Amino acid sequence: MKFVCRKCETFMLFEKLESPAEASLGITFECPECGSRFSMVTNPGETSMVQALGVKLGGRTEPAGPMELTRETLKDPAVAQAAPAQSAPSASAISAAMGTGSGKCPFSSMISGMQQPGAKMEWSREALERMEQVPSFVKPMLQTSVENYARANGITLITPAVMEASKNAPTDMSWAPEAEKRLENIPSFVRPMARKEIERIARDRGLTTVTAALMDEAKEKFMSMGI
Amino acid sequence: MAEEKDLKTVLSNMKYNDDAKVQEQIVDQLLQVKTRMGRIKRKILVMSGKGGVGKSMTTVNLALAFARAGNKVGLLDIDLNGPCVPAMLGLKGQRFALTPEGAIPPTGPLGIKVASMEFLLQPDAPVRWKGPMELSPVWLGLQEMSVIREFLADILWGELDYLFTDLPPGAAADKPPVLAGYLPELDGAVIVTIPSEVATQVVKKSIAYARDLGIRVLGLVENMSGTVCHRCGAEEPLFSGDAEKIAREMDVPFLGRIPFDRALGAAADRGEPLLDPSLPSVRHFDAIAQRLTQALEFKKLMASLL
Repeated sequence: MKFVCRKCETFMLFEKLESPAEASLGITFECPECGSRFSMVTNPGETSMVQALGVKLGGRTEPAGPMELTRETLKDPAVAQAAPAQSAPSASAISAAMGTGSGKCPFSSMISGMQQPGAKMEWSREALERMEQVPSFVKPMLQTSVENYARANGITLITPAVMEASKNAPTDMSWAPEAEKRLENIPSFVRPMARKEIERIARDRGLTTVTAALMDEAKEKFMSMGI
Repeated sequence: MAEEKDLKTVLSNMKYNDDAKVQEQIVDQLLQVKTRMGRIKRKILVMSGKGGVGKSMTTVNLALAFARAGNKVGLLDIDLNGPCVPAMLGLKGQRFALTPEGAIPPTGPLGIKVASMEFLLQPDAPVRWKGPMELSPVWLGLQEMSVIREFLADILWGELDYLFTDLPPGAAADKPPVLAGYLPELDGAVIVTIPSEVATQVVKKSIAYARDLGIRVLGLVENMSGTVCHRCGAEEPLFSGDAEKIAREMDVPFLGRIPFDRALGAAADRGEPLLDPSLPSVRHFDAIAQRLTQALEFKKLMASLL
């Protein structure tokens, strides 16, 4: 959420965070041009909403602890902070178990290109606006789906029309008898997945019929991938 | 007096500034998930249409089957309000060991690493969040989404071959999209059902729902497909439905049937899961694990058999 100073036509900047009452946040913003200030005060529901994001307004001074949000928002903190039943881990155990990331992500400098859905493919302004209306946790999945559709159809600019078309991608595909017969070599319970994959490859090639030659191509592709 | 411009025009001339550092932190959170999950080869959801079909039991025993086959396995229990995986694996009362690098998950039978809300709760305590439930529970969905994000980002899973995620029972409509959003590289979902008419109708909705979300349905498991006589070991039908028929209709792999086995249930209640591969129920899970492996690696099958 951002606030705009209509007089100066600029975003107001976050200035400070206070707690004016129990379960309430006071967030003060200031216009960098005219110096106007105002404070937004949250009710308990809104406060919980902000806290549930797991972020510190204004930025963190130190990395988040493991499961910090979960532990801190459980109603009885004594429950969450119970001593570990396991013995303290050795340094080598931690080293063996830990991932490469820690509280502060090592890839922060890489984020600029990942923040907008159009990073890998061009998105029209209208398409981006439409994407903005999608809940944030669904965005990556939707973006992948639309871009895959666009690539498969040789489209380089994603517009609302492309987004709409990606939802209704055609599934009709005919199979040559020989190709159909060869598909029977695949165990029956995974045959539907194999069929879909072959049809996907056919669509990528702009084909409407699966032929034995296409199956040879698919087989070679899978073998060369070493899978 | 000059007429005030409309907001769209004003915004088009302005540059976004993440001065409150919110976007930066959210991107950091997502990258942390990506980094941690990047060390796990296969990520599989286990879901169901209806509650009470034995989804957690199936998840636990599938995880054991994969571990028995020599894989490094993790099990994430995101049934936040009714976690039962720890009890089934004999881990009740265990806690995460918190370190600056992350939370070390307790380890169950066959080296399975387990993460569950249970490890943050006192025995028999329900999950109760700070916040005005009586005034506005709107924030609760966001809270649970962040808790799931922490389970993915903050647990020290290390290198794993498989991570199974046990979803809450029933529709739980918000959890699959949350996970699919956090894990675009998700391998897919196993859907558990029982062969009753009611359950099979609901399972169709689950399959359609998963597909809508772009989650690949790896297969259908029919639980409680019959009873096993504890004297002679013979199997008899328990319901009149047929999940394999549903799998055919819905075009998804049918992974297998698991008859109701009192010994299996009793072992889970004791927290001492059955591990002997010669036992009938264990054999069923091993067979399902084999089929699931083939479903996951169907491209390899295509390379060799087409």
